[in-house]
Amino acid sequence: MTVFKAFLKVLNKNKIMIIVYTGILIGISVASLKTSETSTNFVAVKPDVTIVNEDVNNGITEGFIDYLEDNCKIIDNLKTEEEIDDSLFYRQADYIIYIPKGFNEDFMNGKNPEINVKSNGDYQASLAEMMVKRYFKTAEIYRDSNLSEEDIIKKTNDTMDKDTKIEMTTKLDTDSLEKMDFYYNFASYSISAALVYVVCMILNSFREEKIRKRTEISSVNYKVYNRQLLLSNCLFSVLLWFAYVIASYFIIGDALFSGHGLIYMINSLLFTICSTAIAFLIGTLITSKNAIAGIVNVWALGSSFLCGVFVPLSMLPDMVIKVGHLIPTYYYVSSNDKLAKLESINLESLQPIIFNMGIILAFTLVFIVLTNVISRKKAN
Amino acid sequence: MFLHQFKYSFKTLMKKRMLIFWTFAFPIILGSFFKVAFGNIESDEKLKVIDIAIVENQGLEENSFYRESFESLSNEKDDDRMFNTKFTTEEDAKKMLENDEITGYLIIEENEPKAVIVSSGINETVFKYVVEEISQTANIVGNLVEREIMNNGTQNYAGEMPVINQEEIIKRAMKDSDINLKDVSKANLSYTMVEFYSLIAMACLYGAMLSMSCINQNLANMCSKGKRVAIAPVSKLKIIMSSVLASFLAQLIGIFILFLYTIYVLNVDYGSNLGLVVAQAIVGSFAGLSLGTFAACVLKKSEESKTGIIITFTMVGSYLAGMMGINTKYNIDVNAPFLNKINPVAMITDGLYSLYYYDTLDRFISDIVGLLVFSGILLMISYISLRRQKYDSI
Repeated sequence: MTVFKAFLKVLNKNKIMIIVYTGILIGISVASLKTSETSTNFVAVKPDVTIVNEDVNNGITEGFIDYLEDNCKIIDNLKTEEEIDDSLFYRQADYIIYIPKGFNEDFMNGKNPEINVKSNGDYQASLAEMMVKRYFKTAEIYRDSNLSEEDIIKKTNDTMDKDTKIEMTTKLDTDSLEKMDFYYNFASYSISAALVYVVCMILNSFREEKIRKRTEISSVNYKVYNRQLLLSNCLFSVLLWFAYVIASYFIIGDALFSGHGLIYMINSLLFTICSTAIAFLIGTLITSKNAIAGIVNVWALGSSFLCGVFVPLSMLPDMVIKVGHLIPTYYYVSSNDKLAKLESINLESLQPIIFNMGIILAFTLVFIVLTNVISRKKAN
Repeated sequence: MFLHQFKYSFKTLMKKRMLIFWTFAFPIILGSFFKVAFGNIESDEKLKVIDIAIVENQGLEENSFYRESFESLSNEKDDDRMFNTKFTTEEDAKKMLENDEITGYLIIEENEPKAVIVSSGINETVFKYVVEEISQTANIVGNLVEREIMNNGTQNYAGEMPVINQEEIIKRAMKDSDINLKDVSKANLSYTMVEFYSLIAMACLYGAMLSMSCINQNLANMCSKGKRVAIAPVSKLKIIMSSVLASFLAQLIGIFILFLYTIYVLNVDYGSNLGLVVAQAIVGSFAGLSLGTFAACVLKKSEESKTGIIITFTMVGSYLAGMMGINTKYNIDVNAPFLNKINPVAMITDGLYSLYYYDTLDRFISDIVGLLVFSGILLMISYISLRRQKYDSI
């Protein structure tokens, strides 16, 4: 009990760091929650478009703007050109359309008036450009068929309204699964950082020369002492994991109580155990308390950046992913990502995930053996 | 005396390993992580060739313009190629969709096209748009041809079914609009650069730890060396100035190394005005130095607490300046502009951003002035609090 009490004291001293990392996890998860509707119907991606109209608001200009309003998200709070440029750079607006003066008249007269556009070059901007081109292509066909102005606009809008039939095959609640994937991926950063920091701090506090000498001459058997220290640390890890699971319920909601949710929890528990082993290894290697903060940051940030926690694996260069294979976080994140797309949960479909879990356990064993070897060498 | 103090302050600084790690190495490590993680993001956000399938059935044969339109959109020689299309049976298409090999497939049943996809997304939206475009064009052209026949050729073609000209449909579907879209956007649009700018800004402010540590050496309430300095018959201003200058030199060396690393290893683009970029970094470092001086002189706390305060201030500032996601900076610039007008990290980031993105210098100058005002105020407070400081006992 003495050891456990001392453990709690050191833990209490470092509670700020635990709160900070937990705060980051919850803060960022809440901030990234999208207010998208959970539906099994098709939801078209709507690019963010700003329209600067210098023409009269009628005729084809009006029809065109109406069409964009239906198919894009219109951003209309940008007043100066600088605000427009800023929003384009920061990807708040994807596409800016400047309709010139006299556009309606010129278009109807068969001239091809020039429209200035600004684009940030990403896929939403490409989609917006497709929409613009398609609208005018349709309008041109009607215009060239000698219809009246009114008819051109009406027929163009009627044509654009026609939808293609869409069938979606997924039966998954993709929205909740995305949230779960994001939360549990990000949790790996908080778990790595908080666990490694706290465990290193605790190991180092117990290893301080005076304390170690006092422990050595005390009546406590060193085996009991070691076991208590190990159990206390493991207890802390499991409690931290449990706290994060509970927090995830408030972010994800009832969807957590599903087959998918259960596997996310098991996966994160395995990762927590592995992180504890890593923490022990790092704690054994570090001899100075000052170095802890530096190493924790480099380890937690590095493994997160390399293994798809901050930026999805699908967007990382192949080289980085290859390096990521050397770190357990990669297998954890890759399982999470696979899980988010898993249509049905059964032994066969879970095979790649179980394989990844096996690798995480193998890593854990290696870290435990390494820690033992190193601490024995140090003791000698 | 000045030079002596300067030299030894500098030497002592260089021996503090943790300090050097946080000010020199940490920004470089973090920058490398940024590069690794964000290196591909922007190219991934461009529209890529989308893999799709089309089911070969009776419906496709009757509406062969779908086949030809998609074949033309999938032409490998075309630079603007949009799709990679496979023509196959329905079972195969289903299987490919299940295995995530295609975005979706098109099936035509009873003359009605249907797009089958897994879930909503950008590629799916584009796929749906194109199918819609082709079927609409077919519709319009069909109607127009019919109308023309009705109008002009009632006598000649009386009684015959109007023939829909497939070639005409494909030609029209493939033809781009005549509208002239002129792209007038600025050339430098790489938003991940802001991450690196905020990193430079963070490094500038981390320099505060150097000046703080240097000044602490001379403070009687911080260490025994400070007590000795306090009773020595030398000008305190000279001693403090020499320490501060030594830390500034160390800071500039750190920033210089970081610049070289970001330019030559990480390929960060600072725009064309490199001279002003360096000026921005020097003024930014000066702001860091002022922050360190302020923390050392005004706060009556241990060196660890002072370091903690500097790190917290810088990290909160970096967060607001967009280091953890550039949207934060934009949202604050729009909704709470005052916050980023007093945040030195945001001012440095914004200065570098405006040099990269804008041709005019207004914004850059206002950032520089803001930083100088920030530094001036902090230095003034530090000077007042340090002046005529005396201890009867300590």
